[in-house]
Amino acid sequence: MSREIPKSIKLLSTLPLNIVLNAVLIIPFAIMIYLAFLKWSPAMGIDWWMAAFIGIANFIRALGDVRFINALTNTAIYTVAVVSIEFFLGLLLAYLMLEEFIGRKAVLSLIIYPLMLPPVIVASVFYLMFQPYGPVNNVFLRAILGEDALRITWFLNPRLAFTALIIADIWQWTPFIFLILYSALSAVPKRLIEAAQVLGASSFTIFWKIRLPLIKPLIIVAVVLRALEAFKMFDYAYLMTGGGPGVSTETVSLYIYRVSVLYTDISYAAAMSLIVLVMLAIIIRLFIWYFFERVK
Amino acid sequence: MEFRIIARALRYVVIGVFALWTLIPLAWIVSLAFKSYAEWRVSYFIPKNPTVDNFLLLFNPQELLGRYGVMGATAIIEPATKPLLNSLIITAASTVLAVFVGFFTAYGASRYRVPGPFTLFFTLLTRMLPPAIFITPIMVYYSNLRILDTHIGLIALYSAVTVTYAIWILKGFIDAIPIEWEEAAMLEGATPIKVLFKVVLPLVRPGLVVAGLFIFLLTWSELLFALVLTNINAVTLSVHISKYVGAVGQLFGPQAALALIGSIIPVVIGYTIQKHLVTGFTFGMVRG
Repeated sequence: MSREIPKSIKLLSTLPLNIVLNAVLIIPFAIMIYLAFLKWSPAMGIDWWMAAFIGIANFIRALGDVRFINALTNTAIYTVAVVSIEFFLGLLLAYLMLEEFIGRKAVLSLIIYPLMLPPVIVASVFYLMFQPYGPVNNVFLRAILGEDALRITWFLNPRLAFTALIIADIWQWTPFIFLILYSALSAVPKRLIEAAQVLGASSFTIFWKIRLPLIKPLIIVAVVLRALEAFKMFDYAYLMTGGGPGVSTETVSLYIYRVSVLYTDISYAAAMSLIVLVMLAIIIRLFIWYFFERVK
Repeated sequence: MEFRIIARALRYVVIGVFALWTLIPLAWIVSLAFKSYAEWRVSYFIPKNPTVDNFLLLFNPQELLGRYGVMGATAIIEPATKPLLNSLIITAASTVLAVFVGFFTAYGASRYRVPGPFTLFFTLLTRMLPPAIFITPIMVYYSNLRILDTHIGLIALYSAVTVTYAIWILKGFIDAIPIEWEEAAMLEGATPIKVLFKVVLPLVRPGLVVAGLFIFLLTWSELLFALVLTNINAVTLSVHISKYVGAVGQLFGPQAALALIGSIIPVVIGYTIQKHLVTGFTFGMVRG
């Protein structure tokens, strides 16, 4: 709109937001950048602004920190694994749910409820599910493996612990991808589909050649948002495995949390945070450019 | 023809399996929550002697620890009442704050393109980055301000990290209001502020409800910030739940009961705004 901006509106739409953002995000953000170049921990008994400046030593330390690299690798593998499985399942389900059938609304409501649950509760539930005497062993695996199933200790084996986390994530977030793709697919104009049917295209061809290309931008939205969320993963690892056994399921979030809260190595945690921030900010910037600015 | 029937049957089977996979953890948690101690480790789903003890014990930790004699269970000293109340207060207050700040910003962004793209990008960025990278400086900053473990600290932080959703959800609602109505009011001599409050605000009320409920859902679920910034006074329900798992780990029944209690509000809210969930989760990039 080309009207002149009234002063009052300008003030109202920028001032409250800036106060909120500045007070709790931008000031700490500035502090973080400064902290990353210091050597400081609360245990040193001095205030952080008195601490010694050590240049980029924290960053160099991070790049050589096996545990940091391990956490980054874990998080990357986790993200790729959950996003690809969830994408495949979500797309399959969205395709299958497209056609009308009796009870479709009820099924739709049922399969999206995991989305609404707090991740901390899902983690708590799957922690219980994967106990040696929990239902995963005691009901499902027992049916296949017999009594041996009760000896499987999911959280003591690195591979199984990682698998348990992935299963919890898939359970909770497949509906996320499903729901986005389902609304996108439902919004494809009917006349396009009908025209293709008249021309004799099979329903698989219609899906592959017409529906899928049309919803491509939304597939990217779903996958990128899900990947960014998966990269944040903290709750499942913190509750279910505690990053263990050892550090085999430690994610970036969990490691930063530990370095800053448990080991109180604040300046080092700030440096690692900055590294992760820069990495992700580039990806997010490209994504937002692709979605909000490219067309205009 | 036969191929079609098989394909159709296969479709129902896949959907059925997925529905079951979604349902089983819920069914099992409900069953566990009503099981007595003796049945916590058995495989059947229907409790033989259903009991509400698990729920009652959540509010009486002395009895809980006394009865099951869990070692090293010092982490749970609080009844669930206080975390529940804290979560309600903190979530409600930060939601209201985020929705109103978001509403003003969304109006400016929708009608006049203020604030500029940089601020909007920054709000998206804060939302998409892992919260873990903010905890270190916020912890330091809050401890300097002496607001660690206070309600006000969490309320301010939560409203700042969720205001993005309010902006993008409400912008969609405001974009849908015909601008002529505002112009008509202006022609009759109403000030811009009056137009905002008397014309736009009433029209966008459904949007405020959707944005508010969505933000309530997200804030209610948050763990990491609360874990870092609270200790005794402002402990939220998420932190309380995490203590059951981390520090004790063997109180299966009460843990399931707590999971059920904590799910009620988000699930009710989720179904209330079911149609808008997609819009919310995708910052309005996908219309539900």
